[in-house]
Amino acid sequence: MMLFGKEGQEHLQDATIFIAGAGGLGSPVSMYLAVLGVGTLIIADNDRVDQTNLNRQILYRDQDIGRRKAAVAGERLQELNPDITVRAVDATIDQNTVSSLTRDADGIVDALDDFPTRYLLNSAALERGIPLFHGGISGFFGQATTILPGKTPCLRCIIPRPPPAEVFPVAGVTAGFIGMIQVTEVCKYLLCRGDLLAGRLLLWDGMQGRIEEIPVETDPDCEACAGKYTAIS
Amino acid sequence: MKITVRFFARFGELLGNTREIEAREGISVIDLVKEAASGNKAGFDTIFDEEGAFRDFVIVMRNKKRIRTQDAGSIPVGEGDEIAVFPPVAGG
Repeated sequence: MMLFGKEGQEHLQDATIFIAGAGGLGSPVSMYLAVLGVGTLIIADNDRVDQTNLNRQILYRDQDIGRRKAAVAGERLQELNPDITVRAVDATIDQNTVSSLTRDADGIVDALDDFPTRYLLNSAALERGIPLFHGGISGFFGQATTILPGKTPCLRCIIPRPPPAEVFPVAGVTAGFIGMIQVTEVCKYLLCRGDLLAGRLLLWDGMQGRIEEIPVETDPDCEACAGKYTAIS
Repeated sequence: MKITVRFFARFGELLGNTREIEAREGISVIDLVKEAASGNKAGFDTIFDEEGAFRDFVIVMRNKKRIRTQDAGSIPVGEGDEIAVFPPVAGG
């Protein structure tokens, strides 16, 4: 591809990215990583496709309702790009599975919808010294940041206590918008280009048409990372 | 003195996105935000717990720099300051 050059495209081809969740964020994230040519995508979800998902979970169609998301996601991503390897895993991400699911990954995309499981991903990223590309959405609002273990605050430094579970529906465009920021971050990281959202939390308010960013700092008392990890290379 | 308080996301929907508050000299960050949120009980209760402390997930910034919510009672607000209050969102 002209944009990245042969060498850049090979970097993408050699990479393995783990996408945690095949829902609102996981759909656009996985589809764009697939067409970007990231060589191996591992995507995990333990749910079935429901009609209420279809406003935002663009991996799925009406005829997929009732099917396992992992199975459908695997088929669809492989259709989008037959030249990549897709490992779609029908699994719950928890204390028992997080380590094996992330073992081969060069980076983790957070496409989850709860913070306790996000904290598991955060710990896995810290342990393995690989980046975590965080996104969170609600309604027409979203946030994103890139966590580089040892270099930036970790997710728990930034958001030490879980916000309440979302009770408001997510607009499809919000998943698309924040998901595209996450994919852009993955792309820049793998190509070693540009400035990552490292140490910066991006906030998007779609209703106001505003994007803000706030600098975030490492918490010396952080439960997850305080003094435990060395910088990634 | 006039202080701007900005509420993001759900907080903004309940309380308005930007509030200009005519505040007394020496008011603390937490008291200022309480004043700004006082007009809407649902909004107030989303930000503050039963003891009147910031809920533990709330992020507060003063002039685009984050402050620890535990310290918000002892940090005074000055003329021209901007306070922003923001809830991280959990959906995906």
